[in-house]
Parts: sequence; C-alpha cells; structure tokens
Amino acid sequence: MRFSSIRYLIREGFRNIWQNRFMAIASIGVLMSCLLITGGACLVFLNIDHAFDLIYDQNVVAVFVKEDQTDEQVQELGQQIQSITNVGTVTFISKEESLQKYAESIPEATFESLQGENNPLLDSFIVSFEDLAQFDSTLMQIEALPGVDSTNYDGNIAEMLTKVRHVVIVVGGWVVGLLLIVSLFIIANTIKLTVYNRRLEIYIMKSVGATNGFIRVPFVIEGMVLGLLSGALSYGIIYYVYQKVTEMFRFSAMFGLVSFSKIWWIMLTGFLVAGTLIGIFGSAISMSKYLKDEGGITSE
Amino acid sequence: MIEFKGVYKTYDTGIEALKDVNIHIDKGEFVFIVGASGAGKSTFLKLIMREEVPTAGEVIINDFRLSKLKRRQIPYLRRTMGIVFQDFRLINKMTVFDNVAFAMRVTGASSREVRKRVPYILGLVGLQNKARSFPLELSGGEQQRVGLARALVNNPSLIIADEPTGNIDPELSYEIVELLNEINRRGTTILMVTHEHDLVKQFDRRVIEIRDGCVISDSLNKEGGHEIQ
Repeated sequence: MRFSSIRYLIREGFRNIWQNRFMAIASIGVLMSCLLITGGACLVFLNIDHAFDLIYDQNVVAVFVKEDQTDEQVQELGQQIQSITNVGTVTFISKEESLQKYAESIPEATFESLQGENNPLLDSFIVSFEDLAQFDSTLMQIEALPGVDSTNYDGNIAEMLTKVRHVVIVVGGWVVGLLLIVSLFIIANTIKLTVYNRRLEIYIMKSVGATNGFIRVPFVIEGMVLGLLSGALSYGIIYYVYQKVTEMFRFSAMFGLVSFSKIWWIMLTGFLVAGTLIGIFGSAISMSKYLKDEGGITSE
Repeated sequence: MIEFKGVYKTYDTGIEALKDVNIHIDKGEFVFIVGASGAGKSTFLKLIMREEVPTAGEVIINDFRLSKLKRRQIPYLRRTMGIVFQDFRLINKMTVFDNVAFAMRVTGASSREVRKRVPYILGLVGLQNKARSFPLELSGGEQQRVGLARALVNNPSLIIADEPTGNIDPELSYEIVELLNEINRRGTTILMVTHEHDLVKQFDRRVIEIRDGCVISDSLNKEGGHEIQ
C-alpha cells in the first residue's frame, strides 16, 4: 500500500469521527461507562484486598521464651524462628521492655518491686507471618522449638480471614469478568449501529472496487482512537474521584485506601489497552458482516 | 465486453430469476436493457457485478471469467466498471468533489492523481462550478451527474446505469442519456437499464428486453425491434 494511501486512510479515520461526532460521543460515553464500572469494581476489590493486607500486617504472634534460657540460647532461638519459611519479621522484646509498658498503669512502688529478679514476665519474640493460610503449621513449627514456653495466638481468626479473603477474590473476579462481558456486548452493539449508519459508504466503496482491507482500515482507526480517548477520559475521572474518596477516608485508621500513586500505572495501562482493544476489535468484528456480503450494491 | 452463456439463476427462495440467458455485448456498445419490474433485470446486473453467482452457465466480464473469480479478486473486477444508481447513492455530508474523489481514493489513487482527475471529470459532466456544493444543494439531474462522474472517475471500460433517470424529471432524463451517449462515443461500453420506452425510442440503440427471466428480444438498432407481442 502506498504511503499516500496510508496517510489518506488515517486522515479518513479521524474525519469519520468528526463527521459522525454524535455517534462518536455516544460510543465514547458507552465505552467510558463500561470502563468506569469495571475499573471502579477493580478498585473496590483491590482495596478490600489491601484492607486484608493491613490486617495481616497486624497479625503478629508473641512467642514467649522459657525462663531458664541463657542469652545465647535466646539469640539462637530468634535465629531459628527467623529461618522457618513463612515467618516474616522477628522482633525481640526483653522482659524489661515488656515491663516498661506497664510503668504508667501500675503503682510506682509495685513497679519498682517488680524490677530485676522479681520480674514476672518472660522474654518474647514478636513474629509476623507471610501467608496466613499456613498459619497453623508455621505456629506448630515454632512451638516445637526448644526454649519456647508458649505462644499467644488464636489461629481461628487467621483461618477465617483467609477464607473471607479467598471469597472476596473469587467474587471480585466474577463481578469484574461479568462486567467486562456485558461491556463488550454493549460496545459491540453501539459500534454495529455506527457501522449500520454508514453502510451506504461501505456499499459505495465496494461498488467502486475498494478492497476489504481498504474499507476496514478507517473504521479500525476510528475504533482505536475512540477507545484510546475513552480510556484516557475514564482514567482522568477515576483519578479525580479516587482522590476525593481517599481524602474522605484519610482519618480512618482502620481503612486506609491504597494510595493511587501505587496503582496509577496499572489503571492507566489497563484503561488505555482495554479501551483500544475493544475499539479495534469492536469495529473490525462489527464490520465483517458488511464486508462478507458481496451484495448490497444494487439493493440494500 | 459482456458475455452470458446459458446463464440460469434460481434463488434459494425458489424464484427463477433468469432462464438460459445468452447475451454478447461488445466493447464500445450502448445497450438498453428493458423489462417490467421483476423481469430479471436486477439479477442480470447483480451477476455482472458479481453480487450474485449464476446457478448454471458462465458470465465473462471484461476478461474476468466470473465462475473462476476468487472473492478477493472481486474488487479488481469492479474497478473495470462504473455503476450509476437510480437513487444516486451520494454521500450527503461530502462535497461533490469529495464524493467523486472518494471513489478514486478508496482504490488507492494518490492525492495528486485525485487533484488532477476529479476536476477533469466534473468538467466532463458539466459540474465544474459545483465542486464545493453538497449533493442536497443540487437538483436531481445534477446529483445524477455527480453519480455519473463518480462512476467515470476510475476510467472504467463499462458503465452500468441502473434506471439512472428513474428519480429525475423527464426533461432532465434526456440530458443524462445524452451524457451517457457522449461517454460511449469516447469508447466506453454503456449498459443502461430502464423502463422508460420513450427514452429508448429517442435514442437509436441496441435494446435487449427481458421478460420472466428470459431474453425475449435483442434488436441491434432495428427500429421497434424490442417490442414483441
């Protein structure tokens, strides 16, 4: 194909958008709604998942060390715990430090009397887990280590959280998947309508001997541009709305939202790629019906 | 050159549109195709344009043997012919110039070729001053001349005019046929479908009459020969 033809086809794609601007606006509107709903759903599930992460991070176990252990043994125990797979961070808290936490809540005299040899508390390690699904087995490994006195965690909560998270991921996946399918259906129909509106042009092109490739290119470019525009606009809207929502939740310590700066590129590429692909394939597929049909020149 | 050899066309609905049609039209001829609606004229044209394929027989158009023609070759067949429609089929949001240029561009012509050729063709049909007008600003006769310009612009060896005067005033119809006559004088084969007998009588040309899917009369310039009882 000649360069001048390629240039013509690209210009034609843009000119089509302008000439059919109302249909273009309608298509962008539909595509944007679909992207926003799907993207919004993604964000909601992403945040629910994020909330679980926060809960998981607070999900620590105190491992108490037997009283008779020497400093070397305690240190070695710390290393042993750390070496277990699935253990995240291990922080040592001496019994003196633990006692210090009570300094203000108990009478000074009592506090003084509990110093040194009289300290009733035990040295401990604060241990976090990487995967809560393996909570039980990891905890058993820790408890089996020599020198461990006891641990203070209720494994049921971890198990429940894991189950809930699993449900959220599955439900979220289905909801987003369904929204995508519904979107594709709506968009395909919108594009079908725009192609139907221009069947005269397609018929004329066929009647003067334009090849199918030549007929298709401007429509595909049009679809691509509309898709890109929809993606970019949707991103802008999501960005703005998300900022507002984040501000609203700023003081809620429990439910801090995922910072947009961490996900902006995922959202942007997602929107642009999804918009463009839907635009291109939507046009190409909707057109094929008119291209396959060799008739329609003398009568519609 | 158009050749039909023992062509039959039966649609899936069971309608027998053409029955054993044998026609030979040489390059440079001007032929009127007449017949009542439903006689098979449309099917005849559709077979020429390869919109439909015959149930039996062979159609040869401008050296293309249509039974052997692959789907992707159809555009190249169509570039050898120009089609004029009864309802003009102009794109109303494009100017006269663009309507004609469009037909050139979509077959891969460069913008330089378009700039050179379109004004020439518009001049040929007498619309050099209307290049910037939009179709709906023109009379029916002028619109059809745009349609004719579009059919001519790719320099086809065959013009197919499907009831080109059907939607325009009778006094302007004569002009359109006169224009076709002029194009024919330059060597282009003209195939004009019409049911306006008066018009056919005014121009002393070959007339092929189709009735009930059969060619019932083929007169080579014999006066009144197309009228068969």
